[in-house]
Amino acid sequence: MLIYLKTFFFVGKDNEFSLYYVEVEENSQGGQEKQTTRDGKRRRERNGEVSRRRASEKRTTEVDTKRAEKKHEKRHKTARKEGEKHEKRQRRKNSKSESDSAPESKDNQAVGVLGSLTPEELEKLKEAVDERKKLIATMRGKPWPMKKKLVVLSCVLSQGVTGVFIISFLYYSNCQKWMKFQRDFENFKTACIPWEMKIKEIESHFGSSVASYFIFLRWMYGINMILFGLTFGLVMVPEALMGKPYGSIPRKTVPREEEASAMNFAILWDFGGYAKYSVLFYGYYNSQRAIGWLKFRLPLSYFLVGVGTVAYSYMVVIRTMARNANEEGGGDDTSFNFSWKTFTSWDYLIGNPETADNKFASITTSFKEAIVEEQESRKDDNIHLTRFLRVLANFLVLCCLAGSGYLIYFVVRRSQKFALLGLENYGWWERNEVNMVMSLLGMFCPMLFDVISTLENYHPRVALQWQLGRIFALFLGNLYTFIIALMDAIQLKRAEEEIVKKNMTIWQANLYNGTVPDNSTAPPITVHPADIPRGPCWETMVGQEFVRLIISDTMTTYITLLIGDFLRAVLVRFLNNCWCWDLEYGFPSYSEFDVSGNVLGLIFNQGMIWMGAFYAPCLPALNLLRLHVSMYLQCWAVMCCNVPQERVFKASGSNNFYMAMLLVILFLSTLPAIYTIVSIPPSFDCGPFSGKTRMFDVIQETLESDFPAWFGKMFSYASNPGLVLPFLLLLVLAIYYLQSTSKTYKRVNMELKKKLQTVSWEVQMYVQMSPTQLKGLSASSFSGVNEESSSIDEAGHHRQAGQNGRFIHPSQSQHTQNSEPPVSSTHTTTRPPASRGHTSSGHLPGHPQQPQKNSHSNRR
Amino acid sequence: MVSPAIALAFLPLLLTMIIRYRYYFVLLYRAVLIRWVRDCLTGLSREERAFQYILTHATPGDAQSILDTFDHWCSKVEFISHIGPKKGKILDRLLQEHCPITVLELGTHCGYSTVRIARSLPIGARIYSVEMDERNAQVAEKIIRLAGFDEDMVELIVRPSDEVIPRLREDFGVERLDLVFMDHWKRCYLPDLQLLEGSGLLGEGSIILADNVIFPGAPNFLRHARRSGLYEVRVHRATLEYIRGIRDGMAELTFLGIK
Repeated sequence: MLIYLKTFFFVGKDNEFSLYYVEVEENSQGGQEKQTTRDGKRRRERNGEVSRRRASEKRTTEVDTKRAEKKHEKRHKTARKEGEKHEKRQRRKNSKSESDSAPESKDNQAVGVLGSLTPEELEKLKEAVDERKKLIATMRGKPWPMKKKLVVLSCVLSQGVTGVFIISFLYYSNCQKWMKFQRDFENFKTACIPWEMKIKEIESHFGSSVASYFIFLRWMYGINMILFGLTFGLVMVPEALMGKPYGSIPRKTVPREEEASAMNFAILWDFGGYAKYSVLFYGYYNSQRAIGWLKFRLPLSYFLVGVGTVAYSYMVVIRTMARNANEEGGGDDTSFNFSWKTFTSWDYLIGNPETADNKFASITTSFKEAIVEEQESRKDDNIHLTRFLRVLANFLVLCCLAGSGYLIYFVVRRSQKFALLGLENYGWWERNEVNMVMSLLGMFCPMLFDVISTLENYHPRVALQWQLGRIFALFLGNLYTFIIALMDAIQLKRAEEEIVKKNMTIWQANLYNGTVPDNSTAPPITVHPADIPRGPCWETMVGQEFVRLIISDTMTTYITLLIGDFLRAVLVRFLNNCWCWDLEYGFPSYSEFDVSGNVLGLIFNQGMIWMGAFYAPCLPALNLLRLHVSMYLQCWAVMCCNVPQERVFKASGSNNFYMAMLLVILFLSTLPAIYTIVSIPPSFDCGPFSGKTRMFDVIQETLESDFPAWFGKMFSYASNPGLVLPFLLLLVLAIYYLQSTSKTYKRVNMELKKKLQTVSWEVQMYVQMSPTQLKGLSASSFSGVNEESSSIDEAGHHRQAGQNGRFIHPSQSQHTQNSEPPVSSTHTTTRPPASRGHTSSGHLPGHPQQPQKNSHSNRR
Repeated sequence: MVSPAIALAFLPLLLTMIIRYRYYFVLLYRAVLIRWVRDCLTGLSREERAFQYILTHATPGDAQSILDTFDHWCSKVEFISHIGPKKGKILDRLLQEHCPITVLELGTHCGYSTVRIARSLPIGARIYSVEMDERNAQVAEKIIRLAGFDEDMVELIVRPSDEVIPRLREDFGVERLDLVFMDHWKRCYLPDLQLLEGSGLLGEGSIILADNVIFPGAPNFLRHARRSGLYEVRVHRATLEYIRGIRDGMAELTFLGIK
C-alpha cells in the first residue's frame, strides 16, 4: 500500500495517470491477495516483455538504451528471491523516466498506437485489461440471467473496478438464498396444483394432446367448484339449516301414496321419494321471504345465484378465450409448412420409448400426408369425384343425424305416453328408454361419422374439424330434442296443475263442509301435510330429468370406459398368447384415447349442468363428483389400457376451438333456461317463487320492500327505455371501438412480426457475408494466415477500445484514435455491426500477443 | 323386454363395424368360403387348382410369367397367402443388396416365393426350401421345375422346420445362412428363430426376413427379436397380399453376432 502511494506521488505530474493509479490503489486495498497474485503476474509479464519492448521501440534511442541498460542491471540485481518492494521501486523509477519520454512519442504520429506508449503505460493498460478480463470471467461464471449481468456490469463500470467484488459478493450471497427460496416456493406452488403430477406423467407418456384433455378437465373442475360453492353456500345450506324442517309443509313432505316406497333404492336411484323432497330439488324450497334469525332472503338468493352462475360462466369462458387469442398472435402460420413440421413437430415432453416411436411414426405419416396433400392441391385432377364423394358423405351424415333425431323424438313421445299411463306399469327399460337411446346414439354415431369421413378424403385437420362439427350437431340435436320433449312435458304438467288447483278448492270445500259443523268457533282442522293434495311441480320434474340424464350419461361413460378400454385391454393382453393372429397389432388392438369425443362429452355435460342447475341445485355438486371421479378413473384408464394415438392435436385452453364450442353450448343452454324462467309461471305450491306470476318478480318485490322508496323510484327511472336504449347504444359503440382498436393492434403486431423476420434475415445475410469479405480484404494486406486472423481480431480490439473508452486510459484512447485511421479504417468500414460480438468474445482486448503484432504490422 | 328403439340405436355401431372391417369380411369370403365351395366342387386342393391354372396360362421357363399368373389367380380367382407382388419387391431389393449365397426358406407352400428368390440369386447360390405338407411340396416342386430351376439351385426338403434346422449342418453341409425367409406357421417363427440361434448357422450380417408379422401376426417373435439384442429389427409396413385394406408388415432382422 505504501509503495503504491509513493508511486502515486511520483507519477502525480500527469493527471490522467494519477487518476488511473488511484483506481488501482483502491483495488489493492480491496483485496490484498489479489494484489500479490497480480504482482507475480506482472513480474512474469515483464520478464517476457522486455525483449519485445526492446525490439519495438528503437526510435527513442537514448532513453531506450538507457532503459535497456537499467533493465539488464535490474535483471541481474533482482533475482527471484528478492522482495517485491525492491522490484517495484525499480519499476517506479522506470516509469518516471518513461513519462519523461512520453511527449516525444506523442509527437511521432506516424508510428502505431501501441508503439507510442511507454512500457509503463502499456503495463498499466494490461493490468486494467486483466482486471476486466477477470471481471468478465467472474460475471460469466455467475448463474444470473443476461439482463442482471448487464446491469451489474454497467453498475460496476460506473463505480470503478473496485465495486464489482463487493457488489457481486452481495449479489451472490443474497442471490443464493433468494434463489433457493424461490425454487422451493416454485416447487411448493407446483405441488399445490391439483393432479399436476398425474397430468405430467400422462404428458410424458402420451404427448401433450392427451394431457391437454386432462388440463381442460381440471379447468372445468375449477369452474364447477365455484358454481358448487355458490349454490351450496347460498342456497342449499341456508335452506337446510334455517328453512322449515322436513314434514312441516306439504312441499317438504313425501305424499301419502308414495310413502311406502319412498325409501326404496330403485326410487332413490331415480331421484324420487325422499330425494325428490329434499334440498336437492327446486320444489322443496319455501316461498317465505326471509328465513332464520339472519333474515336470509332465500327466494332472492335463489334467483340471483341462478343468474350469477351463468354470468360467471360467461365471464370465465370469454376471459379465457380472450387470453388464448392473445397467445395465438397472428400471421399466416400455414406458410413454411414443412419447415414448421421439421423443426417443431417433435414433442419434447415424451419420455417413453414407445411413445417416442409412435410420435416418430405420426410425424412420418403427417409428413407423408402433407406431401400427398401438397401434390393433390397442385394436381386436382378428379375434382368432380371428390366433390361428389364429399356431398355424398355429407348427405349420409345428414341422414344419420335426421335418423337419430327422429329416433329420439319417437322415444320421447313414447315415454310421454308411458308417463300418461303411469310409469309404475312399465319396467326399467321403458323408464330409461330415452336416456339409453340418447347415450347409445351419442356413443355410436361418432364412430359412423368417422368411417364416413374417410370417404371425403380431406386433410386430417379439416377432417377432424368436420368430425367435431358433426358430433357437435348430433349432440346438440339430441339435447334440443330432449328439451323440446321436456317443454311438452311441462305443458302437460301445467294442464295437470290447473286441474289440481280446481280439485284443491273442491277438496278444501269438502273438508270444511264434510267435517266441520257450521259454527266457526271450533278449532281449525289439522290435516297432515302428506295428505294434502298438491300440484305436479314441473320445475322439480325438469330438475329430475336433468339429474337422471347426467347420471345415466356418467354411467355410460364409465361403463364404456370399463368395457371398451379396460376389458378390451385385458382380453388383448392375455388372449394374445393363444390367438391365431396378433391381437395387439391387428384387429382389436388397444384403444386409443379419444380426445375429441371426451372433450365434447365434457362440454355437453357442462351444458346440461348450466341448463338444469336452476331447477336442481344439486347438479353442480353431482358434476363436481363426476369430474373428480373421472379424473382419477380416466387417468388410470389412460395409463393402464390405452395406447397413444397417431393423429395428434391440441385441446384445452390453448385451443380456442373448444372454448368457442363451450361458449356456444353455454349460450344454447342458457336459452331454454331463460325461456322457462321468463315465459312460464312458476308452480303454485312448490319452490321459492310459488304464488308469483313470474320468477323474476322476486326482484321487484325486494326493491319494493327491502330498499328505500327512492331507490325503487330511481330503478324505475333507470329502467325506462329512454335511458336504457342510449346506454345500449353506448355499449355497442364501445364494443365497436374496442374491436377496431384490437384489430389495429393485431395489424401492427403482424407488421412488427414481418419486420423482425426481415431484420433477422438481413443479419443472417451479413453474418454469412462477412467472413468472406474480410478474408478477401485481409488477404490483400497480409500474407500469412495466422497474421490475417490476428489482424481481424486486432481490428475488433481497436473497435472495442474505441467503444469502451471509459475503460481505457483516456490518453491512450486518444492515441488510438489519432494514430488509427490508416490501418483500422479499412477493417472497421468493411466489418458489419453484427459480427462485432464474435470478435469481442473470441479475443479480449489486451491479449498478450497482439500489441506486438499490431505494432509490427504498423511498422511495415 | 328391450324396446325396438334401443335396438335401433345399435344400428350405427353395426354399420360402423361393417364399413370399418369390410376388408376382413372380404378376406373371410375369399379365403374361407370360396375355398370351401371350390374344394367341394372340384375335389382338388387349392394348391392343385392354382397349379392347373398356371400350367394352362403361364409360359414355362419364364419365372416372371409364372409369378404374374400366380398374382392374377390369387387376386382374381381365389386367394392364397403368398408374399405377393408388393412385398415381393421389398424382397427383391434385399436380395439385390445383399446377394446371399445360401438361403433357407421356411414354408414353401406353392413355391411362389421360392421362384421369386431363385430368379434374383447370383450363380452358385443355393436355396433350401422347407415344406411340411406333402401335397403342397409336390405342387411346389412342379412349379419350381416349371420355372426352370434345377436341383442344384433349389433343394426342397419335405419335413417340419423344427426337425430340419438342427440337422442342416450335418445333412446338407450348410456352414452359414445368409438369408432366412420365414413364411410358414406364424406360431413357429419364434421357436425356429431360437433353433437358428442355437444352431450357429447365423453369422454376422445374416438376414432373417419374416412375412406377415402384423397380420396374422407374430407378436412373440417380434418381442423376442427386439429384446434379445441380437438383431437390428426393421419392420417394413405394407398391406396384406392381394387385399388392399389390411395392414401387414415384413420384419427384417439383421443378425449382429453374439457378443
